[in-house]
Amino acid sequence: MSLVEFIWLLPLAGAVVLWAFGPQLQRASGAVGSATVLVSFVATLFAFGSATGPVPWHQVLLSWVPGFTFGLRLDPLSLLWTLIITGVGGLIHVYSIGYMWSDRAIARFFAYMNFFVFAMLTLVLSDNVVGLLVGWGLVGLASYFLIGFWFYKPSAVAAAKKAFVINVVGDVGIMFAVFALYAATGSIAFSDIFARTGSLEPGVLAAVCVALFIGAAAKSAQVPLHTWLPDAMEGPTPVSALIHAATMVTAGVYLVARFAPLYSLSPSVQELVGVIGALTMVTGAILGVAQWDIKRILAYSTMSQIGYMIMGVGVGAYQAGVMHFFTHAFFKAQLFLAAGLIIHALHDEQDVRKMGGLRERLPFAFWTMLIGTLAIIGFPGLSGFFSKDAVIYGVLEHGHPFLYVAGVLTAGLTAYYMFRMIFLTFFGAYRGESSVEEHASLPERLMQVPVAILVVPTIAAGYFSVSFGGPSAWTRFFGTLFQVSANVAGPVLPISELGSSLLVLVLVAAGIVVAYVRYGAPAAQATAPARLRTETERMPAALRHAFWFDDVIDAAIVHPAQALGIAITRFIDPHVIDAGVRDVVWVAGALGAIFRKLQTGLVRGYALTIVIAAAAFIAYFATLGAAK
Amino acid sequence: MSVELSNYIALSAVMFFIGVTGVVVRRNPLIVLMSIELMLNAANLALVAFSRAWVNNAGHVFVFLVVTVAAAEAAIGLAIVVAAFRRAKNVDVDEVSRLHG
Repeated sequence: MSLVEFIWLLPLAGAVVLWAFGPQLQRASGAVGSATVLVSFVATLFAFGSATGPVPWHQVLLSWVPGFTFGLRLDPLSLLWTLIITGVGGLIHVYSIGYMWSDRAIARFFAYMNFFVFAMLTLVLSDNVVGLLVGWGLVGLASYFLIGFWFYKPSAVAAAKKAFVINVVGDVGIMFAVFALYAATGSIAFSDIFARTGSLEPGVLAAVCVALFIGAAAKSAQVPLHTWLPDAMEGPTPVSALIHAATMVTAGVYLVARFAPLYSLSPSVQELVGVIGALTMVTGAILGVAQWDIKRILAYSTMSQIGYMIMGVGVGAYQAGVMHFFTHAFFKAQLFLAAGLIIHALHDEQDVRKMGGLRERLPFAFWTMLIGTLAIIGFPGLSGFFSKDAVIYGVLEHGHPFLYVAGVLTAGLTAYYMFRMIFLTFFGAYRGESSVEEHASLPERLMQVPVAILVVPTIAAGYFSVSFGGPSAWTRFFGTLFQVSANVAGPVLPISELGSSLLVLVLVAAGIVVAYVRYGAPAAQATAPARLRTETERMPAALRHAFWFDDVIDAAIVHPAQALGIAITRFIDPHVIDAGVRDVVWVAGALGAIFRKLQTGLVRGYALTIVIAAAAFIAYFATLGAAK
Repeated sequence: MSVELSNYIALSAVMFFIGVTGVVVRRNPLIVLMSIELMLNAANLALVAFSRAWVNNAGHVFVFLVVTVAAAEAAIGLAIVVAAFRRAKNVDVDEVSRLHG
């Protein structure tokens, strides 16, 4: 068993053990689940060397017909994802031990979580498109299990179903891409496909890229397939942190970056991906402004940040887009886990209107959340600063000034809605009814450890991309992986990278100031309860209904599909299918009624019939037959 | 005077039509069975006659087959007649018509 197989299968083994022995393990299942993922993480660190060599590490698992070879591949891109999945995933597992401490189904929870980690590793470690599609489907399944984990809540079940159905739309897109790629190149392996990209017809290439992007858009909550992500917050908070912030929803970024050799040859599709990413980025940020549920704020913020990543990898700034995934995984996981601390302390209260003044009562949550917020808005020196600026400036470098402007403006909006959340949650007077209890028991302490650990990469992860003379560690890490997209000297840019950073910072500062004036200033704090009530009432309809995306999808697809189903059950099924069967029965009965008359039961009659018929035969052959 | 093939065939035809008439006209099942035997043996006679005329033993083989089948048919037929008689207490084939449509 190779090291990579070990990394890949250990979480599956954990899931199987937890499934089989859950009732016996009970709370010990948390330790089992966390240990398998953390051991996987340590093993991944040992695999670092083999992934970053001149040739990607590769192992064949199973050969079928020619072109259908299943195997594992570890190159810098998959290694990066594996590190995040097992590293951040392991920390979230540890956090979950505390978060799910008093849940009766804790073993089932960890079984699902381990299963998710296995599925996600299948997705990123596969060396072929079919294995990728299998992993793609399995993470969707794991996501369904975990969103609907509290299955006695109808809203959770509805959200799980919605997420699953929308994800399947994406799966179908990828399936078509797999068919087209196999038909065109005769192989499912990435290495073969990328070696034969030159022979693909432009039309096929564009179709494959679009089909892949449909998959990416569904999984990564891109407009208009994003509506499941805010609803997915029905799941437990660690699930939101692991699946709906750090790993699964960034699978679309992985997919586009993985297929960089294809996208680079299809500029019009790149344009489409970039524009969809930018639309998502702006839409998510605008809707994030209008949310009152702390997890929904973070969900829309996730959507917006993934928009940044997709925009980056879409226009060809692969390193920047992947960098933003890397830093986002840390700070967004931290934000979610800190939000989980608050929700836990407030007995499942998630409405920021009923929070406020929690800075003194929950100082640990306050400081970790503040650091996460500073990272996401791009405060200089924190991780988000480097990656977000790299994406924004990379978009301009690749010749998309409009997307650049959208990215800069969204950075300001991000600062506004994140600080709105900070001010509403931690400043002013407490507006809620339930008592605030910061427990000091073991599970609660256990929840704080991962959050504290995550502070380190949240602050420092960006420095990999800083160049200290010569190429940065980030560029050296990827080596020749994105060589195909090496940027040719573009047009003269109207703004330098430093100037761009300053522009972003000015807008970020403006966003913070606006948030302070509206929610943080003493005057605003004094009248907070009344103001928040009027603000809720006067919320524009477009924001309250999230730009009617759900309504449009309902009207355009869900309702027609339901109407078709009703038409089939009311008309086609009884009047066409059932009626057809009944008609066959009737015809058989009618024929029987006619022919039964021939059965007289008189044996002599039958004998006479035979005699006459035989006589007729003889007569025929004696006269006509002989003439021939 | 030797017996010609046509004489055998004529005899066979006569026997056959006597049998047919018996089956169609008579209502006593025993007579009907006997008439069937007569038809079978008429056919046998024709077979052996042709067989001998053309010096081909295939006709003899057929006759053995027919005799075997006739024996079986007689056994089953008589069993049916006995069973029917026990139920209906008469021996008229027209009365045994409960399977009419």
